Amino acid sequence: MKNKSLSFWLFLGPVLISLCVVVLVPLIYGFIFSFTDWTGLKGSNFIGLENYVDLFKDKEFLQSIWFTTKFAVVAIILLNVIGLGLALLVTRKLKSSNFLRTIFFMPNLIGGLILGFIWQFIFINVFDGVGKLLHMEWLSGWLSTTETGFWGLIILTVWQWAGYIMIIYIAYLEGVPQELIEAAEMDGANSFQRFRNVTFPLIRPAFTVCLFLTLSHSFKMYDQNLSLTAGGPFNSTQMVAMEIYKTAFNENLMAFAQSKAVIFFIIVAGIGLTQVYFNKKKEVDL
Amino acid sequence: MKNKRIFSKSLMALSLAGVLLAGCSSDGGSDEDKITVDVFQFKVEFKEQFEDLVAKYEKEHPDVNINVKTVGGGNDYGAAVKAAFAAGDEPDIFNVGGPSEVEQYRDYLTDLSDTAAAKAALPGTLDSVTDGEEILGLPFNQEGYGFIYNKKVFEKAGIDPSTLTTYDAFESAVKTLDSKKSELGIDAVFALAAKETWVIGNHLANAFIAPDFNHSVLEAYNSPTIEISKSNELKRMLDLQNEYSVQPVLSLDYSQQVEQLFSLEKVAMIKQGNWIYNTVYSMDPEFAEENIGIIPIPVEGYEGKLPVGVPMYWTVNKNAGDEVVAAAKDFLDWMYTSETGKEAVMNDFKFIPAYEGYDPAQIADPLSQEIYKYASEGNTIGWVFLGSPVGWQEESLAVNMQKYLSGEIDWDTAMDNAKSDWEKARK
Repeated sequence: MKNKSLSFWLFLGPVLISLCVVVLVPLIYGFIFSFTDWTGLKGSNFIGLENYVDLFKDKEFLQSIWFTTKFAVVAIILLNVIGLGLALLVTRKLKSSNFLRTIFFMPNLIGGLILGFIWQFIFINVFDGVGKLLHMEWLSGWLSTTETGFWGLIILTVWQWAGYIMIIYIAYLEGVPQELIEAAEMDGANSFQRFRNVTFPLIRPAFTVCLFLTLSHSFKMYDQNLSLTAGGPFNSTQMVAMEIYKTAFNENLMAFAQSKAVIFFIIVAGIGLTQVYFNKKKEVDL
Repeated sequence: MKNKRIFSKSLMALSLAGVLLAGCSSDGGSDEDKITVDVFQFKVEFKEQFEDLVAKYEKEHPDVNINVKTVGGGNDYGAAVKAAFAAGDEPDIFNVGGPSEVEQYRDYLTDLSDTAAAKAALPGTLDSVTDGEEILGLPFNQEGYGFIYNKKVFEKAGIDPSTLTTYDAFESAVKTLDSKKSELGIDAVFALAAKETWVIGNHLANAFIAPDFNHSVLEAYNSPTIEISKSNELKRMLDLQNEYSVQPVLSLDYSQQVEQLFSLEKVAMIKQGNWIYNTVYSMDPEFAEENIGIIPIPVEGYEGKLPVGVPMYWTVNKNAGDEVVAAAKDFLDWMYTSETGKEAVMNDFKFIPAYEGYDPAQIADPLSQEIYKYASEGNTIGWVFLGSPVGWQEESLAVNMQKYLSGEIDWDTAMDNAKSDWEKARK
């Protein structure tokens, strides 16, 4: 970008300014506030690192980070495995493949809050009804324990997002040149070997994208968490975003919540960028 | 924030100067001279009725223009008001909940002790907004809670609700109901909505904590520690409800409790307050009008007393300018003390009035009528939960009670955790 003529800046200007105003400035402001004791109305005394020291003693916060991490690991694996599986399924020459693509993608079109309430009904009422009918005890009492709350969130997220991830994989799968696969077939590679050694390396860029998307999505999830479990029982299924919101608005500790948000930002950005860096290195060009 | 105050003060000075200058030049009477009062209120349920009343006031007072802005319940409102103040878009009339919010907004609150409404307010309703001689808020209404029961089921089981004043009588009635479940056509005696932290943490616990603070919300607000001396009573009341409730209680929420279970007559009683009336009414008008009643939660030493309190207060912003403050006070007075206002408060808002001079027979629904009776006879337990450290009831006490219900920790640990959280917050 050597060409820094007037028109370059003119074209860039509007986007740059709005990006600064709505993203950069609030980020910097938030960072500054995290060193104060601001409650939203009064108090903006500079208190140094006190908030940061306190938050590492805050059991609720640490617990929510741990819960979110567990959730993210399971959700990322399941989302990518199922998303890729669905993509492989619908890129075969099936008659119903277009229909199936639509169906798999559909859950993504429903808003997170509504989905949460729908699944809440399914877990609590439908599961219970089916459980009683078939005498399967484990289907009753969903969402009333930490474990069922956790798996409830996983099921909801996977159901909602697998279709979206599938679309991305489809795009890359269809870009794999047919002649490479045929050549491998001629050489006597079986279908698993063809997938493992030909298709897989060629769709690596899709992994970079999908891993990043699923990662940031599962870490930042809020609305599904709110409507499905609301953190219950006893805040054990509370994810980081919700914990931060509660600190800010229920307990009225704006600056403390802000310092939690800064830590959260650093964690998510750190993991996200590392992941992209390593995946980029492994991508191959044709 | 100091800069901001200077800024808003200079802005006020400028605008006052502007008003004075305008006063010199114009003859008055035109539309621009109208006093504008911005109201920012939280009760979504009565938004339309409130706006109708405002329109009536504007008709009677053509020189005043009132803008109403409503942002829905609880936390959302707190955040929205805070945002409005932070952005310099301060409302003239707004709402605060309890002493902790009074403290937060202390610099903005006008003394309302010279209003007629403040003089008419029922004893006790002004406690949490009184600071020395000053009265900083006017109560919205009163609310009360207890065990709301299904009259038909009680009758069939041969239980007279008026005798259930002690814990023992209450417990034996629960056992009778439980033993006749199939005859009575109910699934369980209770529906304990333990998923809702406010149900167990604010309301249930309050009945047993209030005596620790002499029922005074201010005493709770100033206390560095909490004793929970009735911890055992709280435990047995929670256990009783849990044992005879529809399970699992930890995922049972307010709407299941009130709509699916109580309104459809699948349980005999629930611990709730008069605010459920409209919901029950929308499910089954006949049931709501004829067949529900309320009895107090039995607390030793306070038999036959119902927890009644003021959930929210009106306040007037000091920085609004003398004229606007006067208009705001006049409007609030008019709403609670004029005949037109009184009628709207009872018939349209369906409030339990927190003021003298209302005819209890006119109160709209049976639950509210009963609660007003308890309140006017002084048979009440104070709502002290508004005086606890911000968020403590729900985030600490209720969460620990949930942990106890799930078997994660025992009762004493739960109470110790809650006590130490209180002390930490008050340090």
